[in-house]
Amino acid sequence: MKGSFLKKLCLILTVVVSTSNLIACAPKNFSTEKGTATTTTPTASSKPEKITGMFDTILKVEDGQAKVVEEFKKQTGIDLVITNPIHNQYYEKLNLAFASGDIPDVVEMGGTTYSAYANNGALYDMTSLVEKSATIQKLSTVTMDSEKIGGKLYGVPKASGNGTVTYLRKDWLDLNNLEVPKTYEEYINVLKVFADDPDKNGKKDTFGTSAAGLFSDDPTTTPDIYLREFYQDAYPDFKLVNNTWVDGITQPEMKPALERLRKAYSMGLFDKEIITNKTTNVRDKFYSGKVGAMSYWAGTWSTTLEDELKKAVPTASIVAIPAIKETNYTSRVPSVYAITSKAKNPEGIFKYLLEYMHDAGKGELLFSRGVENVHYKVTDGKATMLTVKSTYFFDPTLTISQFKDPAIIDPRISKSTKIFEADSQMAKLLPASAAYTKTGVDLIQSRKEIISKVVIGQMTVDEGLEKYKKDNQVIVDAILNEFNVAK
Amino acid sequence: MVKKNNSTQTLSVLHKWKKNKKITEIFKYTYLYIMFLPILIVSIIFNYIPMAGVRFAFYEYTPFSQPKFIGFDNFKTLLTSKKFISAFSNTITLSFANLLLATLVSIIFALLMNELYNRFAKSFVQTIIYLPHFISWVVTASIFYMLLSPNNGFVNQILGMFGIDPIYFMADEKWWTPIFYFINRWRETGWGTIIYLAALSSINPELYEASSLDSATRLQQTWYVTLPGIMNTIIIVFILNLAKVFNLFESVFVLMNPMVVNSAEVIQTYTYKIGLQQSDYGYATAVGLFKSVISMVLVVLANNISKKIKGEGIL
Repeated sequence: MKGSFLKKLCLILTVVVSTSNLIACAPKNFSTEKGTATTTTPTASSKPEKITGMFDTILKVEDGQAKVVEEFKKQTGIDLVITNPIHNQYYEKLNLAFASGDIPDVVEMGGTTYSAYANNGALYDMTSLVEKSATIQKLSTVTMDSEKIGGKLYGVPKASGNGTVTYLRKDWLDLNNLEVPKTYEEYINVLKVFADDPDKNGKKDTFGTSAAGLFSDDPTTTPDIYLREFYQDAYPDFKLVNNTWVDGITQPEMKPALERLRKAYSMGLFDKEIITNKTTNVRDKFYSGKVGAMSYWAGTWSTTLEDELKKAVPTASIVAIPAIKETNYTSRVPSVYAITSKAKNPEGIFKYLLEYMHDAGKGELLFSRGVENVHYKVTDGKATMLTVKSTYFFDPTLTISQFKDPAIIDPRISKSTKIFEADSQMAKLLPASAAYTKTGVDLIQSRKEIISKVVIGQMTVDEGLEKYKKDNQVIVDAILNEFNVAK
Repeated sequence: MVKKNNSTQTLSVLHKWKKNKKITEIFKYTYLYIMFLPILIVSIIFNYIPMAGVRFAFYEYTPFSQPKFIGFDNFKTLLTSKKFISAFSNTITLSFANLLLATLVSIIFALLMNELYNRFAKSFVQTIIYLPHFISWVVTASIFYMLLSPNNGFVNQILGMFGIDPIYFMADEKWWTPIFYFINRWRETGWGTIIYLAALSSINPELYEASSLDSATRLQQTWYVTLPGIMNTIIIVFILNLAKVFNLFESVFVLMNPMVVNSAEVIQTYTYKIGLQQSDYGYATAVGLFKSVISMVLVVLANNISKKIKGEGIL
């Protein structure tokens, strides 16, 4: 009897699981063949009723996101439905959305993810729409060109990519009669002073410089973005040399770069925890007044860094410095807003959302500053921000259109942006590669491990480079083959 | 006539049905079964239905293409992948060492606490040692990173008093593993002792009295009375923990950094990297399935060994 009951129970469960095989059938992935994206001749676009979008760094719900959506509906009559995963998990959630078939109309993406998705037909080819759009044609050509993949455009950049500048503690420079360094040697001398009781409090409790790791693995930035003074002309990723993609780690300039990093660490100029730091705890250390030099984002961050620092050290001040002679700052390729190939009305979405966001007028004001009397108030034609810490859909100080920002800009923002722009070079978008998609994470992990071990002294530079070649030669060759075919 | 035969047959079936013991039991305890029903439904929805996803272990499945059946290719890849073999080996080392330490340390603590006659002291100690279990792994990792920081962390300050240079504990492979074990014990020992303390309280005190009459020392009482008395509990807990041996993830994920990847990467962090960061869902499912099969084999093996030694298992 017991056996018969168990048999029946097993039968029921089997039926349930088998039925679920039909329910959990193949997801509704895009049906285009690999490497071909859907593209249409632009026609008169109908206004969509609803646009769904997955976005990364935008206005948060608690900062009045709903008001922007409400105002967008008022201005255009379109419902904007936003999915905004937490920043650290954005690309995981994005990939899961595509794999499960729950694909929004518009997505924000950047870096190698953008190349990979475009190359695999996940994104709508908007090249012809862009060519015919008077609004988009007015956007910065350099920025637009940086997003081209095989000569085609699959997204409109949010804003300029921006990058990091080096901020120094001005009060420490003044207290120690130091000038803003112009060369690497001067920079190292400044760091030596910063690491050796620069505030004259009798305690050796400060760091010369700190950073979120020796190698950034954020897919939307360059890996050397926080340590440009040390890497200089070396680049710890794939780069173009004489129109051919090569692995920057194996180039001759990487050896002296690693030696500079290693020497600086052994001299105690770095925060000893640099390898395990995240951006949040580097900022916290800076805010606590313990760090003398830090590379961080130009523009709005210059005010945040100084204002937060002043809470702990009221007499502190910071200054953004021009790039030292031996190097330059890097402007990352900005993230784009891309229309997915699953979107039913790509022309309508392009016209009523992407063009609208970059119209240098009402639309751009809404997405870059928010809603009047909620996020800012206007007095005598000038806007004063009511909320200070909000991130908007894109930073208006990084606009790539002719937008005249009505907000009163803190002069520190303009100053750091000017310094950055005077000394920056645009990074290059990596081409799409199936081998990179499959093995890129392992390669990045290996680079981080080897660079960390070399700098901290567990390996010599030569040993580290040798190990890198031994462990990764096959992967690197496969990736470079595909990159050099795709370019 | 046909109609009459049908209704007679139906009645006969119903009559047989009612006479069926199992059915009678269900009717007798209807409300208990109704209470159980939501759990059964949740279990089916969240535990059984998702098992259909296991088929993707035999597919090439990425966000970019329709799933394509590739047979055992994913398994061939994982068995020849150096990274997987390293992750598997780390999982075995870290998990089994952790399991052994957990069993030993929890039992020792339980035995020691059982010796406390002052009830207030016993409750106080028990509360203090099991509170860390409720601290999340992220917070635990932050606490220990601070304590072990080479920049004036507490431990390095003590070492500095003896003239020892600061040690970057968390970035040194030879230190990371023992620290990992220590942190796990700090966090989980208290929780583990609860079960053993409960088991200790069920030992018949007359056995202790009888052993005292035979002039047994405390140690002899522990070895001949206490430990045999809780042996069943030890075996059950051990087998249950054995099933979770390959699920090691959170503690490693928060404590891992680029310097210790070779010693720290385990199967679950490897699966996370492949599945969520590289979006190779097919291969990640294959790794997960492989891990589950090994876990099941371990549990069945342990249960059979327990049957051989004690005469009974728990499955």
